[in-house]
Amino acid sequence: MTLIATEELRSMKIFRLAGLALALVVALLFAVFVGDQGPWYFAWVIGTVMIVLISGAGAVLLDAQEDGVANTEKLS
Amino acid sequence: MDFINPQVVDLSRLQFALTALYHFMFVPLTLGLTFMLAAMETVYVVTGRKIYRDMAQFWGKLFGINFAIGVATGLTMEFEFGTNWSMYSHFFGDMFGTPLAIEGLMAFFMESTFVGLMFFGWDRLSKPGHLAITYLVALGSNLSALWILIANAGMNVPEGAHFDADTMRMQFDSFVHVVFSQDAQAKFVHTSVAGYVAASMFVMGISAFYLLRGQHRELAARSFRMAALFGIISSVAVITLGDVLGRMDYEKQPTKIAAIEGLWHTTKPPYEPWILAALPDDEKQVNHFEINIPYVLTPLITHSFNQPVIGMYELEEQAGPRIRSGIIALTALRRYGETHDKADLNLFNAHQDDMGFGFLATRHAPNQDVTNIPADQLDAVVKQTQPDILPNVFVTFWSFRFMVFLGGYFFAIFAVAALLSLKNRLEANPWLLKATMWSIPLPILATEFGWITAEAGRQPWTVFNKLPTFLSASGHSTGYMVFSLAGFALLYSVFIAAELYLMFRFARLGPEEHGTHHDETDALLSHFHGSHA
Ligand code: HEM
Repeated sequence: MTLIATEELRSMKIFRLAGLALALVVALLFAVFVGDQGPWYFAWVIGTVMIVLISGAGAVLLDAQEDGVANTEKLS
Repeated sequence: MDFINPQVVDLSRLQFALTALYHFMFVPLTLGLTFMLAAMETVYVVTGRKIYRDMAQFWGKLFGINFAIGVATGLTMEFEFGTNWSMYSHFFGDMFGTPLAIEGLMAFFMESTFVGLMFFGWDRLSKPGHLAITYLVALGSNLSALWILIANAGMNVPEGAHFDADTMRMQFDSFVHVVFSQDAQAKFVHTSVAGYVAASMFVMGISAFYLLRGQHRELAARSFRMAALFGIISSVAVITLGDVLGRMDYEKQPTKIAAIEGLWHTTKPPYEPWILAALPDDEKQVNHFEINIPYVLTPLITHSFNQPVIGMYELEEQAGPRIRSGIIALTALRRYGETHDKADLNLFNAHQDDMGFGFLATRHAPNQDVTNIPADQLDAVVKQTQPDILPNVFVTFWSFRFMVFLGGYFFAIFAVAALLSLKNRLEANPWLLKATMWSIPLPILATEFGWITAEAGRQPWTVFNKLPTFLSASGHSTGYMVFSLAGFALLYSVFIAAELYLMFRFARLGPEEHGTHHDETDALLSHFHGSHA
């Protein structure tokens, strides 16, 4: 029973790794081809991801700032 | 040759301009809000905090209202090409129709399918599954814009195609060239990030409204922070890409850039000033007054210190030989149609780059037939045609300036907003909150000015240097055009009233009420499921 579960887990891990490797290859091909042929398209993809992440980070920072204030208030 | 009524052409142009500008009131929000929703939901999935789910759902509802009306107004435009611009569609259909069809088949269906899943999948999909759907909606809506802008770039810079004398229309040489043309790329990114700017201002403005009233603070402060950061980077991007577009116009559309900058005469680098404001007079071909910023023009436009920008007088002069060459092209084409003689085809091919200038001369040719101009009248026809190569300078000059001034304002306001939000000092500065609230419509206005710059600046052509606008329209009656224009005006006024009513209503109701509605819907659904169980 446990043996089968470990086997399954292992093959799932391999699948996941293979999936990630494939995504990496696609991303690399995309970077090489589109980066060359379509510099602005490429900039759009990278830029949009960056904008999304930075604005998300801003929100998380706000959470941290508010949690910080709440903790200080509790302490004092 | 049988000619189209100029009144019908003007009415067709008016109808297209109105429907396009109207449609584009909805597009920027769709392009930008989808990625903002994705950003909010990403934070929800990563942190697990429910407030971000509430945010994504609340802004998602406002997005939904905008999306529905945006799609409805976009559909009519696709038909307009066939109904009102049939000559254009015949001439350029191969080039224009292909991206349009891809847009319809791929992006539009992708967008619509996933929008449904996004709205109704919250409780039915896993968290990462729903997040993936939201990203696909964002990608789909931006891909729609991509294909339309590829098509539009083809009209502005028709490369990757040639005119075929047997089929009498433009045909593809290279699809890849069309998709990856520099103009298409820059146009897409400029327009897409203009949408990000519009969405950022929208979210920031409504959040400011709540902060000013002390309502929904948790949601409003987070939304404001995210929008301010989204907006500041996007406004830098829109300015950068604006510069790229200006440089591209300089290289590929000299009449457009000369009109944009109000340059009647070729510049003498490097000391040329950039005209901040002026009153260009299209009739007299002068600027009545100018406020100048010295030294700026040459590096701004040419990215160098020594290249001149050709002025409109000189462009008119240069058009003379092209008009003559175009008349030869059309005469050879007509003969080839009758004789199918290889010599005529060769002559046409040698002059085919100038064919559009021959078309432009038809208005001034005796009997509107350029293939039969008596030798003693040729000079006069060419002379009369030369000024026709210029767009309306006043409109192009000022629409560009309004867009650019607004771009500068957006950068400034997002920078201050981001700074104050990061310092948690928003409520201490109500002036900023009020300014952002009142600025909600401005990015939409800037995009409208952008389109006016691009499309008025492209005149007198529908396909730049290939097909004049006055030869592109369908042969409808004036009555038909007036009737359909009135119909559109009426219908679209109802649409805009509905959109504004719903937007104000839901924005006023706010997220809590939204939450309650959601719970009510859930309760109703579970009751429904329960009674069937
Ligand atoms: C501030 C600097 C800006 C510059 C230098 C700039 C430059 C340009 C130029 C040259 C065009 C005409 C492109 C063509 O030939 O077809 C254009 C079009 C356009 N602009 Fe801007 N722009 C700026 C800011 C903005 C802003 C702030 C927005 C909106 C938020 C905007 C939205 C648009 C749109 C929607 C178009 C029409 C689509 C296109 O041709 O790409 N622009 N812009």
